[in-house]
Parts: sequence; structure tokens; C-alpha cells
Amino acid sequence: MGAGAILTVALAGAGLSYPLGLLSAKVRNVFATAVSALLVCLVAAAYGRSGEHVYYSGFLGLDLILRTDALAWFFAITVSLVGCLSVVFSLRYVRGREKVSFYYFALLLVNAAMLGIVFSGDLLSFFIFWEVMSWAAYLLISYNRGRALYAGLKYIVMSIIGSCAMLVGLLSLYAAHDTLVISELAERIGSRGTGFLLGVLVAFSIGFGIKSAMVPLHTWLPDAHSEAPSPFSAVLSGILIKMGIYGFVLVMYALVGLKLLLGLRGAWVSFNSVLCWLGAIGILIPTFIAVLQTDAKRLLAWSSIGQIGYIILGMGFATSLGLTGALFHTFNHAVFKALLFLAVGAVEYRTGGVRDLNELGGLIKRMPVTFACALVGGLGLIGVPLTSGFVSKWLIYKTLIAEGHPFLALAALVGTWGAILYVYKLLHNMFLGQLPEKYAHLEAAPFTMRLPLVVCGSIIILFGILPGIPLGAVGPIVGSLGLEPVQATLTGFGPQVGPLNMVSIFAAAALAVLAVLLVLRASAAPRRVAQEDSYAAGSPVPAGRYHHTVRFYDPLEGATIGYLRDWADEFYTRVAGGARGGFDGLRRIYTGDVRNYVMYIVCLLAFLIFVQMVWHIW
Amino acid sequence: MVTRIIQLLLSPLIALAVGVLFLGLSRKIIARIHRRYGPPLYQPVIDVIRMMSQRSISHGSLFELGVVLALAGSLVTVLFIPLGGTVICRQNPLAHGVLCPLSSSGGLLVVMYLMLFGPLGLALGAGDSANPNASIGVSRKLLLALAYEVPFLLVILAVMSHYRTISITEIVARQQESGWGVLSVPLSAVAAFLILPAMLGIRPFDLVSAPQEIASGPLAEYGGSYLALLAVQKGVHLFVVIALYVDLFLGGGVNLATFLVKMLVVFVAAEMIAAVLPRIRIESAVRFCWKWPTALALLQMAITVLSKSV
Amino acid sequence: MDRNQITKWLKSPAKMAHKYSLHAVYFCTGCGIIEIPPVITTRWDAERFGVLPVATPRQGNLFMITGYVSLKTLKAIIRTYEQMPDPKYTVGFGSCPINGGMYWDSYNTIKHLDRYIPVDGWIAGCMPRPEAVFVGVTHLWTLIDKGKADGYLRYKRYYAAYRRNQEMLFGELQWPPLYPTEAEAEEARP
Repeated sequence: MGAGAILTVALAGAGLSYPLGLLSAKVRNVFATAVSALLVCLVAAAYGRSGEHVYYSGFLGLDLILRTDALAWFFAITVSLVGCLSVVFSLRYVRGREKVSFYYFALLLVNAAMLGIVFSGDLLSFFIFWEVMSWAAYLLISYNRGRALYAGLKYIVMSIIGSCAMLVGLLSLYAAHDTLVISELAERIGSRGTGFLLGVLVAFSIGFGIKSAMVPLHTWLPDAHSEAPSPFSAVLSGILIKMGIYGFVLVMYALVGLKLLLGLRGAWVSFNSVLCWLGAIGILIPTFIAVLQTDAKRLLAWSSIGQIGYIILGMGFATSLGLTGALFHTFNHAVFKALLFLAVGAVEYRTGGVRDLNELGGLIKRMPVTFACALVGGLGLIGVPLTSGFVSKWLIYKTLIAEGHPFLALAALVGTWGAILYVYKLLHNMFLGQLPEKYAHLEAAPFTMRLPLVVCGSIIILFGILPGIPLGAVGPIVGSLGLEPVQATLTGFGPQVGPLNMVSIFAAAALAVLAVLLVLRASAAPRRVAQEDSYAAGSPVPAGRYHHTVRFYDPLEGATIGYLRDWADEFYTRVAGGARGGFDGLRRIYTGDVRNYVMYIVCLLAFLIFVQMVWHIW
Repeated sequence: MVTRIIQLLLSPLIALAVGVLFLGLSRKIIARIHRRYGPPLYQPVIDVIRMMSQRSISHGSLFELGVVLALAGSLVTVLFIPLGGTVICRQNPLAHGVLCPLSSSGGLLVVMYLMLFGPLGLALGAGDSANPNASIGVSRKLLLALAYEVPFLLVILAVMSHYRTISITEIVARQQESGWGVLSVPLSAVAAFLILPAMLGIRPFDLVSAPQEIASGPLAEYGGSYLALLAVQKGVHLFVVIALYVDLFLGGGVNLATFLVKMLVVFVAAEMIAAVLPRIRIESAVRFCWKWPTALALLQMAITVLSKSV
Repeated sequence: MDRNQITKWLKSPAKMAHKYSLHAVYFCTGCGIIEIPPVITTRWDAERFGVLPVATPRQGNLFMITGYVSLKTLKAIIRTYEQMPDPKYTVGFGSCPINGGMYWDSYNTIKHLDRYIPVDGWIAGCMPRPEAVFVGVTHLWTLIDKGKADGYLRYKRYYAAYRRNQEMLFGELQWPPLYPTEAEAEEARP
């Protein structure tokens, strides 16, 4: 039992969910949940076995190979976990909407394709699964119709461009080495010059960069993330864009290898440093754009681009600390971003599709569990100590400082402080403040929606206090990619990496909280008052909306809104518009009049005869 | 083990006592500069006792937990900051009389993040109070934090690059060996001093809790024991910021007494500047923080990076 | 601090702390408020007695009604008073809150403030000088010492009567009762 069995289950589950849905909705729901849960169990049971075997030989004269190693398992567990949670969340979210069977089919197919990507042992099956994932994701992004159709189109056009770039890289590797098996390529690739390597890497980087929304290739993401159904937004932001990161790690470290990678440098600039600076820009600008957003999911989408910047920054450094931080952050980001998208989805579900941050407020009183989980997710996103986000960000900062790049570190740290702004805006405008009249009788989120939230929240806290558990899984990956694994203990790091002991921080914090609570206990118990009993200079509080949300960070917004435009998006839109105009002009030659077509043919013949008479080509 | 437990209890208590004393001192200093007699030094203690004896109101669990989080976070931060003592053995500073109980559990990065707990806890609690004044105050607070964090991060990064470590005990030890930070990274020290009022939330940067404009901002709905805890939190926060300044630029202290004397000097200097300035608006505060302190800190960081790479 | 003071502090710290930490709510009614800036600033420096203005009723324990009380202001006064945490002290300042003063025949001001909220002490005069405020504060200290500054207790005990007076003036009040009225208390009893 290994990768083959897991993939069979995943693909069969996806395929069967559609016909089952035609029979009975209930059976389909149970089946989809069971398949996704089974995948988690299978991945967990088979975790850590490494091997490589041919599963289909002779496809276009090539062998298709499944390979399992530490890197694959790490991504597989992330994919199956977030996939399972999103399926559970979907149970209520899509109930009663149209084409639900199709939805489950596409959702399970995306998960299966992502598992296929991480288990692929050769670049051809990698590419095939990659395309399956891209197209299935396109179907889901456009699921809501309306504006989602535009978002989906934007996504798939950029995906195709990325796939073409990848195909170029793939074919040039095949042309040069006559194989697409990753392990064989890794042995043979050293014989080629730096120019070839750089070309291949850039081609792959465009493909992976588009998928992982690396600045400046990110422009599909804000639209797609905000318009997709929320459970799928969680998958998109949590794991689908991480496939780009997986591709980067695979090609940069497993395929090209560390030694060749570090050799790719000119006098001033190297491949890695370009990647790092792109990461830093990707942290700074999207973070501040996220602060300006008023749509909850769009805010989270921009935040995803910013967090991908951290991962690329850590990965680009090619040091064991940086890579460990990047991989750990990949996992963390998958968990807390999935959690935040699901929390917004729960609010959206209960309020009837409202996700405008200026329309909500006070929901903590109606949906306390959702709020608590969203708070944990938000704290993880900021990287507050005792959440897992802290440890991964700490590793990345530590790398930047130890490698002597304080300016990159500044970008990363300022990005974190920007993250506080938008996380607080998200939590405050949705959950805190005054509860509007129309939501006064809102029900709490249903159990199947709360369960994924609670699971994600517990993971964030657990791995924040005991970071040794996930770091134990990351260590072998870093080792297998030719770097010295970071010496991590269960609770943090020893003095040789830098002092960090999360358990003692946790103990100190717990004791301090306990002491403060005891002091509070000694004083008189507080009197609970209604939200209308609030200070308003003696006047009665206006009923309805007495909540400061619109232009929450007014001075900052006023100062930065002129600069924080999505330049890349505007540029691409202009290029697309230009191309459209050009082709529109070209289209006019099809007049529909036969005489014109005869004239074209005569003109062409005359031209050819002229050419032949003058130059005697044929 | 026993020393460790004593230290664990001692440092938060010192922070509490000194922080509350500093609150009283600040009122006295401002009064004397205004040519008033001023309240007694222990006035904040009276205030805290009075508030504790009043029955507070509550708007919800988060309203209460936010305060607890803020104070607990500030108290925990103290445990990571060396409060004087000479480092003889770098590997185990605890055994040699450095009053920094959790120095082996985290460095400067942890301190920076733990300092978040105060504002964050207050922001969450204030958000739950359903009062727009509080929300405006929090919005100002977070913006101001972003404004002063840019130069402050530059300062911290310059210090960390200069000493090539993220351990704060190590930084103190290096200063005690080879001269204070104020001499080796002078522009950073100046920049940090310029943003000190913003970090402490005193004039001219007291726009977060401006009583006359936004009814003391985040504190608008807090009263009774919660307000008392927040007053204490303000004192502890004051202690943390100034202790950090002393540790980074004034070489820490050979023992607790010299450390506190240095803290007193920094605090009185900052407070005297604060006493003669009016409050500025948030836009002006952001503009100020991103202009002179940032320029100085950037210059120092460039110098440090260049001198290290040569 | 003499020895007498210390024993008092040990016996009832809360009472002593209330005495020396009177935080007054910023609530500017009438013309009397013009006397307050000199009181709290350099010339007279009320802070040396622990008297300090605070921004919201939640934070204060001293409520000064500084001048005539129009009907509209009275609503705000009642709400503010109810928002202050117990224990709290009210001081009427100037002759208008005492008996209407020069507005004794106005249709739109109230004559007796203590019919609507409990008042612990009065500072007479039109206007009282800042020194009179300090005399008032020291009197309040004595009252607190003797346990006679019990306005907040009276408000709780006779809440029904106060509320009835308030309703006689305004008709239906826009806010719910602070304490359960007698009818509600009857209902709550098992």
C-alpha cells in the first residue's frame, strides 16, 4: 500500500461521487466525506515510506513513475488534511444549491490531482496532474457564476500561460537528457551549462510563480480567491497555491540541486537573490493593499500573496534554516488561511452571503466559536508567540539576520506589522463592535462548519507550543535536499540555532494569565451590560449602527491609496486589451462576401508567383 | 532551581513596582514643570486601589479577557529582558547573576513579538466594548504602532547586525566588554530615543488615549478593576520599553541598582520632553516617525552593513 | 502621613483610596464649568488632592453638576450617573442645582437636582470660587470617612422613587431601569 493505492482511492472517489449524487444526495455526502477522511488516514498510515515504482509504462514511449519521499509525504498530509476539512465544511455550505454533485466531483478531483502532483516521480505525470488540477480548479472558481466567470477566465488564461512555460522547460529537459524521470534528471543535469539551467529554471519559475501567486505573477489570485465558494477558497489559498511552492522546491533543490543552484550567479545578481527580492516585494506591497480592502475574502486573498512572499523569501535563501522556515510556513499558512477562509465562509453562510466588512459587526455575540477560531487563525497569521506561525516566521527572520540581509528582514518584519492591521480590521469589522439589529437573531454556525475550524485552531496552538512535531517532519526533507537539517527539539531550538523554547514561554504566559485572573477574582464580579449601555456623552446610543468600520485606517488609506495600485494587473489588462483590439481588427478581413475571399486568394497567388519569379525558391 | 524560581517571581514584581512608581513620577515631573505641586509619588497606587474597589461593568468575555491578555503579555515580556547583572559565562547567563529568567528561551525577536500582546489584548477587549470611540482609538493605536515600528525595527536590525546575534543577553555582554551601544551605533540610539514617546504613549504621541477627543479611546468603556489592571499594564509596558532601551544602548547594568538608575535617567529625559509638547494628530505622528527617526536609523543600518561587509 | 492616617489606611483601604483619588467626570453643565479649568490647572492644582478629570463616566467616582440643569441636560446627567461604577459621589456646584438659582421660575430647568439623582454635597455660590471647590472636597472627605456619602446606596434603595420622579418629568424613559423595579423583583422571587 503506498502512493498508488492512495491515488486510486482519490481518483475513484472523485469519479464515483458524481454518479452517486444522481442516486441520492445523502449517500454522496457521506461518500465524499468518507473518501476524504480515508485519504487522510491512508496518508498518515503510509507516512514516511519512500519508494519509486513505475505505474504505467510506455506512455508516449516514457515510463510514468510514482515516487514517495519526505517532501512528497509532507505536502501529501497537508493536501489531504485541508482537503478533508473543506469537504466537511462544504456539507452545509453547498446544500440546496444547484449542481452539487458536480461540485463534489470537482473538489475531490482537485484534491486527487494535487496528491498526484506530489507523488509524481517524473515530470510528465507531474505535468498531467498539474493540468488536471488547473482545469478542475477553473470549474470550481467559476461555480458561483456572475463575476466568478471573469475570475475563472483570468485564472485559466494565466494558468495556461504558466503551463506553456512549464512545457517549454519540460521539453528542453527531455530534448537534452532523453528522460523525464526526476531522479535520473537530477544525476544527468550537471553536464549542462549555466545558460541552459537558467533557461529551464526561469521557464519553470514562470509556471510555478503563476500558480503560487508570486509577485508580479499574482494577478489572478485576488479575483479567484474572493469569487470562489468559500470551502474551495480555503483549498485554493491553503494548498493549491502551495503546489507552486512544491514545484519550486522540487525543481530548485531536488532536480537542479543545491550546488548547481548556487552556481547560477553573475557579478551582482544570482537566481536566488532575485527570488528573495521578489519575495520581499511580495510581502510588502500586497500586505498594504490588503489593509485597504473592504471585502473579507479579498482581504484574505491579498494576505495570501503576502504570506507566499515569506515562503519564497525563506526558500530562496538555500540555507537549512530558511528552507525549514519556508516549508513549515507552507504548512502553517495552509492551516490558518484555510481556517480564516472557512470562518469567513461560515459568516457568509449565516448572514446570507454578506462579506462586505462595512456591513457586519458584533457577530461574536452570535457566533463565539467561529470568532475564537478566527482569532487563533489571525494570531497565527500575524505570528504571535504560542501559535505555529510564530516559529516559522522566527526561522525566516533568523535566516535573514544570520545571512546579513537586514533590509530583507525589514521587509519581512514590516509585513508582519502590516498583517496586524488587516487581521484586526477583519476581526473587528466582522465580529466586534455593535451587533446590527438585522443579525440579532442569527444562529451559530452549524456543527459541520465549526468542526473544521476547531481542528485547524487546535493544530495552530498545538504546533505553536510543540513545534518539534512538524519540525521533525521537515528535518528529513531538508536533509534529503542536501542541506544540514536544523537541530530542533520538541519545544523549540537549542542554543546552537538560537534560543527558543516555546513550552517555557507557554508556561510563563499561562502563569501570568492565572495570576492576573486571581487578582481579578479578588475584586467584585463585573456587571454585564447591554451593548446599548455604552458611553455616548450621555446621549442614548443610536440603535442600529454605532460601529466604526468605514475607512478604518483612514490616515494610512489616505496616504497610501494613490501608490498601492496593482501595477501588474493594470499592465496585463492593458496587454490583454491591446491584443483584443488587434485581433478585433484582424477579424474584419472576414467580410462574409465571397468576392473578397476570391480576391484574397488571387492576391496570395499573385504574391507567390511574384516571389517565385524573382527569387526562384521552389 | 530555587534561584530560578525566585528570579521568575522577582522580575515581574520589580517591573510592577518600578512601573507604577514611574507612573507617579511622570505625573510629578509634569506637575513640577507646570509649576504645580503635583500629586504624591504613590498617587497611582491610590488610584489603583480605588479602581479595584469599584464594581466594573462588562460587555462580554472578550472585553474581560483582552485586559488579562494585555497585562499577562506585558508581565511575560519582562522575563525575557535582562535587568542588570554581569554576564560571565555566555552559555549559561543564569548561573552568574543576570536577572533574566528566560534568557535561554528566546531572544530579541521573541521580545519584539511579546510586546505585541499588550496592544493586541487591549485592541481586542476595546473592540468588544461596542463603542466607536474605542474603535477609533484602536485604529490610531495600530497605525501609530506601524509608524514607530518601522524605525524601531531598523534600530533593532542595526543592533542585531552590529553584534551579529539575536540574543539580548549576548548584546548586553558585548556592550559591557567593548563599550555601550550608544557609542557603537549612535544614530540608532538617537532614532530610538526620538520614537520613545510614541512607544510609551506619552505626549506628543498620546493621541491613542486622547481624553478630550475620543474619550480616552480604547479605555472608553473600561472602569473598576479592569481599568486598574490596564493602569498597571501601562506601567509595566513603560518599564519594558525603557529597560529595552537601556539594554540595547546603555550597556544594561552591572547590577540591578545601576540598571534602575540608567532607566531613571532615560525616563526623566523622555518625560521632560513630553511635558512641554502638545498632542499631535495621527497623520503628523506617522509622518514624523517615517521621516527623521527612519532616516537616522536607515543611515545607521547602512553604515553597519557596509562596515561589516568590508 | 501621620500614624492616624496609616491606621485608617490599614482599616479600610478602599474608603481611603476613594478619598484621595476623586476622579471627576468631564461633564460641563451650565456656566459653573468655567471655574473648573483654574481648579485643575497650574493656579490651584487640584491634582495634589488626587482630584483629576477623566474622560468617561466608567472611569470616574466624582460627579460634579456645575450649574443650571435644563431638562435636556438632566437626561444626559441621569444616564451618565447610572453609567458610573459604584461607589460614586455627586456634588452640586453653584446655586442653580440647589434650588434653581436665578432660573427659579424657568419652564425648562429643574429646581431641585436631588429629586432626580442623589446628591452627596453642595457647594453654594454663584459662582463658587475655586477655593470653595477645595473646601467642598475636604467636606466630602469627612463625609466619606463617616460613611455619610452614601448617595449611590440611596439611589439603589429608593430607585423606584427616583425613577418615578424622572418619569414624571420626561414621560417614558428611553433606557431600561438600572435596578429591578419592585414589580420585577416580585416576579423574580420564586
